[in-house]
Amino acid sequence: MARVTASACVNRLIGALTARSTSARLALAIAGLFLLFYLLLGAGLYYAVSQIFAQDLHEVIRLDSADLVELYRESGYAGLRTEVAERTAAPDDDNAVYELIGPRGQLVAGEFASLPEAARRGDGWVEFDEHNEDGFVRVVAKLQKLDGGSLLLTGRRSRNQERFEALVRRTSWFALLAAAGLGGLIGWITARWVARRLESTYDITRRVGAGELALRIPEDDSDDSFDRLAKRINAMLDRIQELLDGVRHATDHIAHDLRTPLTRLRNRLEDMRDRHFTADQFALELEAATAETDQLLATFGALLRLTRIEAQTAHADDPEFALEPVVLDAAELYAPIASERDIVLDAQTSPCKLRGDADQLFQLVANLLDNALKYAASGTRVSLSLFDDGEAVHLIVGDHGAGIPVSDRERVFDRFVRLEEHRGSVGSGLGLSLVRAIAHRHGGTISLEDNSPGLRARVRLPHAAG
Amino acid sequence: MRILIVEDDPHTATFIAKGLTEDGHTVDQADNGRDGLFLATTESYDAIVLDRMLPAVDGLTVLRTLRGAGNATPVLVLTALGDVDHRVEGLRAGADDYLVKPFAYAELSARIDSLLRRRQSASTETTELRVGDLELNLLTREARRAGRTIELQPREFRLLEYLMRQAERVVTRTMLLEAVWDYHFDPQTNVIDVHISRLRQKIDRHHPKPLLHTVRGAGYRLGVRE
Repeated sequence: MARVTASACVNRLIGALTARSTSARLALAIAGLFLLFYLLLGAGLYYAVSQIFAQDLHEVIRLDSADLVELYRESGYAGLRTEVAERTAAPDDDNAVYELIGPRGQLVAGEFASLPEAARRGDGWVEFDEHNEDGFVRVVAKLQKLDGGSLLLTGRRSRNQERFEALVRRTSWFALLAAAGLGGLIGWITARWVARRLESTYDITRRVGAGELALRIPEDDSDDSFDRLAKRINAMLDRIQELLDGVRHATDHIAHDLRTPLTRLRNRLEDMRDRHFTADQFALELEAATAETDQLLATFGALLRLTRIEAQTAHADDPEFALEPVVLDAAELYAPIASERDIVLDAQTSPCKLRGDADQLFQLVANLLDNALKYAASGTRVSLSLFDDGEAVHLIVGDHGAGIPVSDRERVFDRFVRLEEHRGSVGSGLGLSLVRAIAHRHGGTISLEDNSPGLRARVRLPHAAG
Repeated sequence: MRILIVEDDPHTATFIAKGLTEDGHTVDQADNGRDGLFLATTESYDAIVLDRMLPAVDGLTVLRTLRGAGNATPVLVLTALGDVDHRVEGLRAGADDYLVKPFAYAELSARIDSLLRRRQSASTETTELRVGDLELNLLTREARRAGRTIELQPREFRLLEYLMRQAERVVTRTMLLEAVWDYHFDPQTNVIDVHISRLRQKIDRHHPKPLLHTVRGAGYRLGVRE
């Protein structure tokens, strides 16, 4: 059992090390960095303290040496020899080392039974190991030349420093273990925190993908990267929701606006089956049913066309064409209707070039004219103007009809939206939707303005360069 | 006239075949592209009604193969794809006309008649059209009825010319829009009707026998027949 658990642990560890899991790598990186930082700090501290110890030792030795040289000057060689012998016999400091060396290298007075190799080099600082019952002890010493070729060695056993260094080395190992453990722990906690925050994002996006569209990632307003990511994703989800609502709204409208005439048609057919019509009545009913079907098919066709145009985008390689003849053709097509309703159709155009689909632009102008002529009062003027102001092509159709209240000016572009007062009139409710889709597909915009009185539709389209 | 229908939907195929037979044509049918292509190349037809989406070999491939083999039989392509791009693609592949589903039989019938007529008159280039006592001189661009000159606007002239070329045949509103105005679009209201009634005013007023007739549920017909 224990073996299994251990091997499972090892497997998990190997898994964590080799897995391309961000959190595992993050944990390892943090632990590693922590350890590296600790090692650098420890090494630096060790070096600095060692330096201070060494400097202190040198200073003590220098002062001691200077003291003895002073004595030598005052009391002569014999005095120095007595002092060295005395100090060696009864040292104030157990670690102090003295030796007076004769001109031929013979030991005159002091500690040593034999002269250490390093001391033969003449004056200056020397370091050598002294062999005693405890093993080796490091000795730091200063050699001072005296008159007549003698040498004075003043030194200290660096026992304290070595003790300190041994202590540091010992504690270092414990500290290293502690640091590794702590680093690992911090790494693990950080990794777990990151993983948990990512986990919720991961989980929510997965569930949204599976269809729970209303879910949002919790935001904590900390404004860190995770929070910003969460906000971004939530904003994206909001936008998707909005689009879906739009589609659902449109679908509801379509269902309603197609179902109504279909129901009418069905009722008519039922009547024809159940009621006893005369041949003439029957023919009339049949005619009406066919007309109803045609209207439905036309609406359906317009819907399909609208959807297709909405899916198109402006392309730089769209064919270039002159818009003026298209606009004039549309005006000419509608001129008889205008004069029949005693409306003056006043077209003022100038040459404009455009990239796109001439048939669609014809449809756009035709729909705008159709609307204007439908709602304009008899005896008024409908104006149609086309010009290029150097930045864009403007196509403006204005009438002096009832106009559209400001609050409805956006809504009328939606599919099947027909203002209450026009419910009874002929039309699919798709005319302006199509106009807007065509304008957008050509990279343009449409806005409805007050023509005081009446309505002015302004279409702005990017002109073809050159 | 002998007409081949290549259409995979049996209901639509029967509907078209029945109508064309009643109109006095002889009709052959194929329900897939391969059979259609076989019949079109081995038999001789005056016109072909070709569905665009077909099993085995697709409609446009049939059309390209036919045209590639030098077969110039007029082809009317039927399609559920009504976009301008699709239409252009169809016409480029060699279609003579293009009809979007769903359609009224009158529309199909009128277009088939137009295709057959175009084939017959292609060889004989006329400078004057005549229907009853209505004359149209294509060179001087003058219209007369019973010797009296009729003033026509340029568009009215083109409208009348088209109607006279299709004399005694039903012409639909969509056909007029495409032929006389040269735009593919959906009119929201029957703008064409107003143009026709103006033209009717000019040619039929003062004359006891009208030439321009409205065919209910279909379109218009110019002719001496009542």
